[in-house]
Amino acid sequence: MKDALLALSTGRPRLVYLLTLLLVAVTAALMPRIHIDTDPENMLPPDQSDRVFHNQVEEWFGLHDAIVVGVVNEGADGVYTPQTLAALHRVSQAVLQIDGVIPPDLMSLAVADNITQDGPGVLRFEWMMKEAPTTQTRAADIRDAVARLPLLEDTLVSGDGKAAAVYVPIERKDLSYAISREIEALVADETAAGDWHITGLPVAEDTFGHEMFVQMGISAPLAGLMIFILMWVFFRNLRLIISPMIVAMATVIVTMGLLIGMGFTVHIMSSMIPIFLMPIAVVDSIHILSEFADHYRQGDEPGAVMKKVVGHLFKPMLFTSLTSAAGFASLLLTPIPPVRVFGAFVAFGILLAFLLTVVFIPAWVVRSSPRSLASLDRLREGADAQSGLARALRRVGRFAYGGKGLVTVAAVVIMAISVAGLLRIQINDNPVRWFKDTHRIRVADTVLNAHFAGTYDAFFVLSYEDPSAWADYRSLAGEALAGLAVPPSLAVLLESEPAADEMDARLGAIIGAADDLSFDTDDPDLADALDALMVAAEEAQTRARYFQRPEALALVESLQVALADTGLVGKTNALPDVVKVVNRELRGGEAGDYRIPESVPGVAQALLQYQSSHRPQDLWHMVTPDYSRTAVWLQLTSGDNQDMTRVIEAVDAWLAEHPLPEHVRGRWAGKTYINVVWQGEMVAGMLNSLLGAFAVVFLMMLLLFRSVSWGVVAMLPLTFTILGVYGFIGWIGKYYDMPIAVLSSLTLGLSVDFAIHFIQRSRELHRELGSFEAMAKAMFEEPARAITRNAFVIALGFTPLFLAPLMPYVTVGGFMASIMVLSGAATLLLLPAVIALGRRLLFPAKASRGVESHVA
Amino acid sequence: MLPRIVLLAAGLAALAPVTSPAQDELDADAIVARANLASYYAGADGRSEARMRIIDGQGREQRRQFTVLRRNVEAGGDQQFLVVFSQPSDVRGTTFLVHKHVQRDDDRWLYLPGLDLVKRIAAGDKRTSFVGSHYYYEDVSGRNPGEDTHVLAGQDEQAYELVHTPKDPASVEFAEYTTWIDRATFLPMRIEYRDERGQAIRRVEVKKVEQVQGHPTVTASRITDVVSGGYTDVQFRYIAYDLGMPDELFGERSLRNPASEWLERPSGP
Repeated sequence: MKDALLALSTGRPRLVYLLTLLLVAVTAALMPRIHIDTDPENMLPPDQSDRVFHNQVEEWFGLHDAIVVGVVNEGADGVYTPQTLAALHRVSQAVLQIDGVIPPDLMSLAVADNITQDGPGVLRFEWMMKEAPTTQTRAADIRDAVARLPLLEDTLVSGDGKAAAVYVPIERKDLSYAISREIEALVADETAAGDWHITGLPVAEDTFGHEMFVQMGISAPLAGLMIFILMWVFFRNLRLIISPMIVAMATVIVTMGLLIGMGFTVHIMSSMIPIFLMPIAVVDSIHILSEFADHYRQGDEPGAVMKKVVGHLFKPMLFTSLTSAAGFASLLLTPIPPVRVFGAFVAFGILLAFLLTVVFIPAWVVRSSPRSLASLDRLREGADAQSGLARALRRVGRFAYGGKGLVTVAAVVIMAISVAGLLRIQINDNPVRWFKDTHRIRVADTVLNAHFAGTYDAFFVLSYEDPSAWADYRSLAGEALAGLAVPPSLAVLLESEPAADEMDARLGAIIGAADDLSFDTDDPDLADALDALMVAAEEAQTRARYFQRPEALALVESLQVALADTGLVGKTNALPDVVKVVNRELRGGEAGDYRIPESVPGVAQALLQYQSSHRPQDLWHMVTPDYSRTAVWLQLTSGDNQDMTRVIEAVDAWLAEHPLPEHVRGRWAGKTYINVVWQGEMVAGMLNSLLGAFAVVFLMMLLLFRSVSWGVVAMLPLTFTILGVYGFIGWIGKYYDMPIAVLSSLTLGLSVDFAIHFIQRSRELHRELGSFEAMAKAMFEEPARAITRNAFVIALGFTPLFLAPLMPYVTVGGFMASIMVLSGAATLLLLPAVIALGRRLLFPAKASRGVESHVA
Repeated sequence: MLPRIVLLAAGLAALAPVTSPAQDELDADAIVARANLASYYAGADGRSEARMRIIDGQGREQRRQFTVLRRNVEAGGDQQFLVVFSQPSDVRGTTFLVHKHVQRDDDRWLYLPGLDLVKRIAAGDKRTSFVGSHYYYEDVSGRNPGEDTHVLAGQDEQAYELVHTPKDPASVEFAEYTTWIDRATFLPMRIEYRDERGQAIRRVEVKKVEQVQGHPTVTASRITDVVSGGYTDVQFRYIAYDLGMPDELFGERSLRNPASEWLERPSGP
């Protein structure tokens, strides 16, 4: 295969150009079909049970993703000034007109309802703020009214009165960036009223998607430019160093074009493919160019030199590509669809880059004029072999072979410290943290969560389902109707068992039908039976409307109290809050009446009053219309998975002490919870994939070197690097999040590369020179320089990423540098030390005797 | 030459309906006054049983059943309403009492048996939901014609089309509404409420009209919340007029214990 490819590349360079161009053109043509997906929910497969339940909950309770808009006025009266309230009113009304906003569910003081005492024994229902107040006194009245309504306090206005919020429910998550921009334009005219902030998970996610696109257009090319400059520094030959850039660009375009063309969405993960492929695609080219520069003499036939260079680099390059590809392909073992797509396409891209490198680079060089290659001569004879780098590397080599014991002990110590750091790793994520802390979304998040009970949502959903409810009713109905001709209008309703969610409606229909029939019938027996049927249906209905029962509400209330006691939750909102407020106001407004009524009719009638408001639909965000399910809405000031996990554990502990009654079940939903779920799956999945990749790479090393000892040695630098990188993360306390988890595959794939090259060349040189010492010396000439150049190009090439506003990009930049430093150091220090220590084992009998005799 | 004639003819045609002194032509206010009488004032008093199916945007259902007793203090003027709930069973006995006044704010009371409470409700906003349905309180007792200005926007053989604009736009959630009033019965058969952008937000449709004791009476209607897609269907049954209801029936004392004879269904289907 090698010879055929080389024959093609050096013999028919024009054909290679044409084929490459064709491939790029075809795949680039697929790119306009791009479909962006920034929803972290898609980290879970659509049929994952928590995700299915979460969507079910959104439907049951009519919940929508919401943008949170906040205004902060640090003045003495806070937001309760005519000016700020008027601005809040104007903004709320204007937001209601934006397409994609769901008007009835918008939450703001401007559209909130109020229930008050209007003199003794008189109730008043009215809008809280139909029009903005014009006097400070009226503004203060609104403050007093809000303080009496626990569902509004700390949700629509902060406890300190300094901030007010508008919750803007939107039809689709992918509208949130566009809508938030429209809102930004609106509040830009209202800055006199206070500081405005816009946040919320959907905005964070959608904005991330938008900026990640911008970053694909800025960071990736910038990294490319940086790599280009560094190669210029090393090779000083413009013509030559263009070729790796072409290989990298072609690799990225073909891979992304194929991904898009095959119908995959460009997710947060896959958007990072270009940035991952860029360094990997360049690495092999640098090896080729580095060695070509060393061997090429003016007057040489470039094709012949190239054939020789590629000839002996082919195997190590193939294997480094295969191992890197294996590292990414191992992501297919994770249960997270976007990560699988990412892994598969990066793996493909790596193999493509290998193919392009061995075909395109030689073709490019062959097509170069001798004059353009002349500068390579000057480079080698002048600077390179005498450069500071070359001299430093020779010292490194002497130190590594000479101080083999010291180096090995130091490495073992570092690894031990790393393992200790590894054990301290904090697993945590929060999509808002993907922005730098100076980003406007992070700022809004910090400010609003400092004032309010929290802009992060989670829901604990309690469901009551008595599996025998219908059968029980059916048998009572059967008894009542025994021996009677059942009228068809009723028979059809009694025939089949309704789905659990349709039970209440069915019983209502039975009551209606029986009522009609009993008015029309002359048969006293049927009339009695119909009465019994209706009474039984009413009783079954009342029983199934579990969350109208005072004891059920008391249960929810005690859960709310337990949640408040954890100190982890900003606030909970649930059905008991509504019932208690209405009960208090009905009974005269005294604080002592802020309690749950004692009977089911009491609760039902309080709720009937609540429904007689401007916003009856608000009730169904807390309970389903059949009262069989209720949702406790938790407001959290932090979207960190760690914090959500603590809340989950606190509820689990509470439930262990207070078991739910028979037929009642509790389950979590909400975006903050979903993030915890996919993170959990990812951590476990990543560990599996890392172990899997480690095993595969080891097998490949055995295959490549056909020696167990060499295989083990080859695994050392990558083990050292992975331990080092993740140990460092553990020690500095950086959270192990999605980007960091995925980077483990990159670490594995890249850090084995240098080892392969080093070992391959060591063995070759040992064979050629016939002596360990000669080999050891030669290794720290051109081979060490190639490795070091590579390390520098990649490590420094990605420094532009540190300027990106998105943390995952910054993280990738940091990882690249760390991987290069650590695996470079491990390869140039640890490997020679270990090889020197194990030389008898690694270079057995015949060869080593030759070395000893030479020394003697 | 030709265009001029055509223009002239077109102008004549456009003017025709307005200028022709058609037989007993009514102005907008007169139509509204008659529609108000036809919809809310039939007989000296009246009873009916309402059954509501409230369907939300997702198709989920709630039911309500209640009896409405009504007595006119004067035709087209003040009225009294007593609304007694029978379904669902957990709100049974809940009662609303309304003394509707044309010249001043209404008086409203509420009785909640489950909480053993009688409360007065301040006359405030009447455009709040009636017990969670898509009807407003104002739809049940009738919007005072004096609250809007009325314009006759068109008519055909079937109906008058009127556009109504609120005199106090801040007191309502709509910008204007149109009614299509049947020329024969003067019952509004369709009402459409629109927002500032002219988009329909709410729609009332009469589904069925029956003659009861000589009065054309709405027996089925639907009100739709265009925004959410939810709607409420109401059926009115067991209707009777001119029963001779006494004034005491609509007193505060009646709230806790309305005389059962008026709640019973009139005998025979």
